[in-house]
Amino acid sequence: MIRASGLGKRYGEHVILNGLDLVVERGERVALLGLNGAGKTTLMRCLLGLLPFDGKLEIAGLDVRANGREARGRLGYVPQRAPHFDGTLAEVVDFFTRLREVAPAAVEHRLAALGLSLDEHGEKPVRALSGGMLQKVLLALALGAEVPLLLLDEPTANLDHQARREFLRALKEVNGETTILLASHRFADVEAVADRILVLHGGRIAFDGQVRELRERVEDAVTLWLKVPPSLREQAQMQLEADARLSTVRANGAALGVRADHAARADVLVALRDAGIPVDDFWTETPTLNQLLEGVLGLEPEDQS
Amino acid sequence: MIARAALFVQRELAGSLRARWFLAYSAVFLAGGLLLAVFGMGDTTIYGYRGFAKAFTGLVHLALLFVPLLALFPAAASIAEDRESGALEYMLAQPVTFGEVYTGKLGGVSVAILLSLTVGFGVAGAVAVLRGVPPGLVVMLYGYVVLLALVFVALGLCFSTITNSRARAMTLGILVWLVLVAFGTLGIMVAFVRWGFPEQVLVWWSLLNPVEAFRMGVVAALDADLSLLGPVGAKIVERFGAGGTMALAAASLATWVVVPGVTGWWLFRKRG
Repeated sequence: MIRASGLGKRYGEHVILNGLDLVVERGERVALLGLNGAGKTTLMRCLLGLLPFDGKLEIAGLDVRANGREARGRLGYVPQRAPHFDGTLAEVVDFFTRLREVAPAAVEHRLAALGLSLDEHGEKPVRALSGGMLQKVLLALALGAEVPLLLLDEPTANLDHQARREFLRALKEVNGETTILLASHRFADVEAVADRILVLHGGRIAFDGQVRELRERVEDAVTLWLKVPPSLREQAQMQLEADARLSTVRANGAALGVRADHAARADVLVALRDAGIPVDDFWTETPTLNQLLEGVLGLEPEDQS
Repeated sequence: MIARAALFVQRELAGSLRARWFLAYSAVFLAGGLLLAVFGMGDTTIYGYRGFAKAFTGLVHLALLFVPLLALFPAAASIAEDRESGALEYMLAQPVTFGEVYTGKLGGVSVAILLSLTVGFGVAGAVAVLRGVPPGLVVMLYGYVVLLALVFVALGLCFSTITNSRARAMTLGILVWLVLVAFGTLGIMVAFVRWGFPEQVLVWWSLLNPVEAFRMGVVAALDADLSLLGPVGAKIVERFGAGGTMALAAASLATWVVVPGVTGWWLFRKRG
């Protein structure tokens, strides 16, 4: 469905995409991840034919540079922030359905499935609609066109919890033949939608794997924080450092942090109790997606910039 | 291609007709034209055609004030506003070409302006014809007003492609309009009296400035009178004749439509 070969894009001296090669097959659900500025949106814009680029890029066998309009006809796009179009919702839906030559009923049906009725909201100015409603409209327009590829550029970034759940539920119900490329900063979204993960770094694909691989890394990277009496902190730290199953021991004020897999976490508490060190409190800390990506990319936290 | 561009024409047209300031400008132009046509031509019965020329010159100056701004505002907003709101990126992500979007916007704004001008000028023109002014002359003057409007639509759209904000595009458009006006009659007088620019330079200066070219063309069509043309205008008419002046003025205006229009399209494609 998507084929990129030697894809390059630079802004002056700043290289964003550096000879990127990528193949996404029909029906794949792919999450595109990367630290801020890694080039996710640039890659999306290249796929949309909105930016000039070096190399070769095909969508459904169509050269994006030579047959941009036809290639865009095979995809639906939902950006991070829904634009505030001029006019009423009904006018906007009418404009885009006519532009895409899609039956309005197909979009209305999708809107209804997303809990939006044109009868109820059609005459409202688009500027008066919430961001969540607008994102649903864009998703309905994309789905109503029944295109084989959906490009979603952080579509839930500005949605509240409820709107995000509804949006993701609609995506899960998308026909299995439809390919999805989702750029996201939320691991929950990635898990809900994607099977495969691509991590962009240095203008190339730095990691290409399955979502479960990342899930395992998440589990491995969970930190268990323990609060012990200050007088026993050093003793507790020595005790924890002696345990071969624990990978990192960190001190942060009165708390000690250890990396331990699921099975070892309870044992840590028992071992400390048996050593006569009371645990006043404990909690777990799950890494953010960015922290995880730093781990995947082998970056120190300071390397973010 | 045409069907998709036509959709953008419709969208732009609807947007312009919804804008209150656009309706207000159109109403003022209509009222101004009507007042000039009804009351300004009172002396045509006494002075004949010459009286009419003076009255219509008033309409020309009204057009010089209103038409560029009427055209600049929606044109300058057209692309910059959509870029600002993210609508442009979304539209270009659809199965359309840059050319379809650009021509659609150019066409939509132009049609909206022409509708407004046709109503305003049409009423004034109808009154003028009823008072004995030759219809051919009214049509010719309408043609010059249309060309002037299209010049500023093309300029506005061109500025709209190079900025990311509607306000900046409008400011740029107004600045250019002010410069063109300042380098019109006033600039020619200063250049002539203070710096003693050669006649040849002043003649081409007048013809290459769209605001001045519009004034020359209209006045030459009405009455090649020195008091209306000014010294440089009179020199141009003396050199090229009234017909030649009108043709050169129209050609200058047409060039000012084509060059910014094509430049805007090129910049639009380049900037994405």
